[in-house]
Amino acid sequence: MNLLERAPIELKAWLLNLLGVFGVPDWALAILSALLIIGTVIAVFLGLFALTSVMERKILARVQNRLGPNRVGPFGLFQPVADGIKMITKEDLVPRGADPIVHFLAPVVMMVPALLVLAILPYGRDMVPVELEAGILYFFAVGAGTEVAVFMAGWGSNNKYSVLGAMRAIAQMISYEIPLVLSAIVAAMIAGSLMPSVIVAAQGGFAFGFVPQWFVFTPWGFTAGLIFYIGALAESNRSPFDLPEGESELVAGHLTEYSGFKYATFFMAEYVGMFAICGLFVTLFLGGWQAPLPFLEIIPSWCWFFGKVCFVAFTMIWVRATLPRLRIDHLLAFAWKFLLPMSFAAFLAAACWHYAGRGALGWGMSLVIVAVPYLALGTSFTRRFAVSKRTYQFSE
Amino acid sequence: MTLQIVLGISAILFSLGLAAVLTRSHAIMLLMGIELMLGAANLNFLAFWRFSPDPAALAGILFAIFSIAVAAAEAAVGLAIIILVYRNLRSVEVDDADQLKG
Amino acid sequence: MMCDFFHSLCADPVNAIGGWFVLLPAAVLLLAAAASVVLRNLIHAALCLTLSFIALGVVYLALGAEFVGFVQLLVYVGAVAMVIVFAILLTRPDELERSRSFFAGFGPAGGAAAALATLAVLLGAIFTSPTGDRPMPPAVAVPVADLGKALMGDYVVALIVIGVLLTAALVGAAVLAMEDEP
Repeated sequence: MNLLERAPIELKAWLLNLLGVFGVPDWALAILSALLIIGTVIAVFLGLFALTSVMERKILARVQNRLGPNRVGPFGLFQPVADGIKMITKEDLVPRGADPIVHFLAPVVMMVPALLVLAILPYGRDMVPVELEAGILYFFAVGAGTEVAVFMAGWGSNNKYSVLGAMRAIAQMISYEIPLVLSAIVAAMIAGSLMPSVIVAAQGGFAFGFVPQWFVFTPWGFTAGLIFYIGALAESNRSPFDLPEGESELVAGHLTEYSGFKYATFFMAEYVGMFAICGLFVTLFLGGWQAPLPFLEIIPSWCWFFGKVCFVAFTMIWVRATLPRLRIDHLLAFAWKFLLPMSFAAFLAAACWHYAGRGALGWGMSLVIVAVPYLALGTSFTRRFAVSKRTYQFSE
Repeated sequence: MTLQIVLGISAILFSLGLAAVLTRSHAIMLLMGIELMLGAANLNFLAFWRFSPDPAALAGILFAIFSIAVAAAEAAVGLAIIILVYRNLRSVEVDDADQLKG
Repeated sequence: MMCDFFHSLCADPVNAIGGWFVLLPAAVLLLAAAASVVLRNLIHAALCLTLSFIALGVVYLALGAEFVGFVQLLVYVGAVAMVIVFAILLTRPDELERSRSFFAGFGPAGGAAAALATLAVLLGAIFTSPTGDRPMPPAVAVPVADLGKALMGDYVVALIVIGVLLTAALVGAAVLAMEDEP
């Protein structure tokens, strides 16, 4: 068990030892160690991107009672290769009035934060690439760079619809960032630290011997986790929040004038960002690399982490296949008038749970503090959007 | 890397912001200059915190955090005012907002 | 004195790498700020301002203030820069948004002279002061928990006042920018 668990770390140490024996100086070994970690993380996530680009189409297809891509390899699994060749060989069109520097740099500025945020996620026991003390804050600070990229893409295309799509996308991302950050702070508050590995360790142990103590199984954790999940869907511009890139609304929104490899870079950045925020969701609420049952700890911790991330990504694809798109005013009203007060309620519930001693009283109080605003907001919120009873007038 | 170098950088940033405020006529450019000046002041605070003999005194860091919060609030309100002025005057050049003149 | 400083940075690069960590982002910061002041195209100026905010955040990180650096990136780049860009887009005149440039007219000469005079006074004060010529002491990691305790302990009044200020700004900006009911 321990061997498989520590396999990546031992492999890297063995490789560096070998190179050290060959006379490579220490400072070069340090740089090489960092490069190995960076290379592995990027390779894993780009591989996940490639796999997801075909799995998403197949899952959507199966939900819609059809097959999905199945020509290019066994079960269509080599589709990403075909897609990559297509994207690379497509003509790269730049609109005539477009701002050349801004139009060119937008995909770069989109991809860089998506890759940078992968540095603080704990992929397994003792497997964090960078141990930052303010890790969660770093995640959101670097994620703010994505909004700049969306604006650059929209404005640099010299196209009214792109600018409009970019403004809607930025409004959506800013609005959903607040409940997202607040629910992440709930988990950090209970764990007592902003370091992701400390938050994962705070979810360790099993109550009654077999129930995992993940934050998502508590009332406040369930609420905060659900708010984080919805915010994650909105931050990655995924359905049902994909108005900024909905084809029937604004062509492709801020991505209209991009073709070929630049579009592939945006696509890649969106998927890597989706996996990164799924990774943070797993870290904060689903126990990170912890196994759900004590006897399942045979399976290595990094397997559990990636398994959980893939499961959360699968649910995101499932939600995309199921729910219709939200209109922009519904979307913004949902964020400001429902999710924001609910995240405050989750915050208060978590604090009460902690200070009431984490016992039965704490569980009861937090449940009430979360349920009452939910029922109140839920009923009052939908009344405005309720469809009135139709009256039919027939010609007599 | 001495304290004087960091303070010199902050002084240059401040004078760039001051130049923007004094010479540009677009209201949003004025706001950008003000943000630069606030950033320079924050850099000063952090420079003095870093080079001070007592790094456990957190006043420098906390002042910088409060200053960032105040700057964000001021940017939001300032831009709302600029949008309102545009709606009434159809122009955002500060030279055109001269109804009280004479 | 400046020559000594650069000489010391180049002579012993490994130990002076802390100095380069501050100087390189600072150079990007000053260039981007100068560009944002001088450029005629407003959106370019706003994007250069965003770059200068990012560089300022990196300078804060290089000075060892991790929390402030990330807060700078989160608040300035993610919020203030986006609000500035939104305001530029919402207040566009019908023709090209080319504001009067830095170099147009006589006013800028006076403004630039005033800014240069201020710079001269500041630099003079900085480089003649006796307390300024001290080297960078070793970095001390400030745990975020200590910042939290200080905010909730000694500085709680300031925290609450900032909270009230931000709420007032939020409500005020929303009310100001709201369209009047027809």
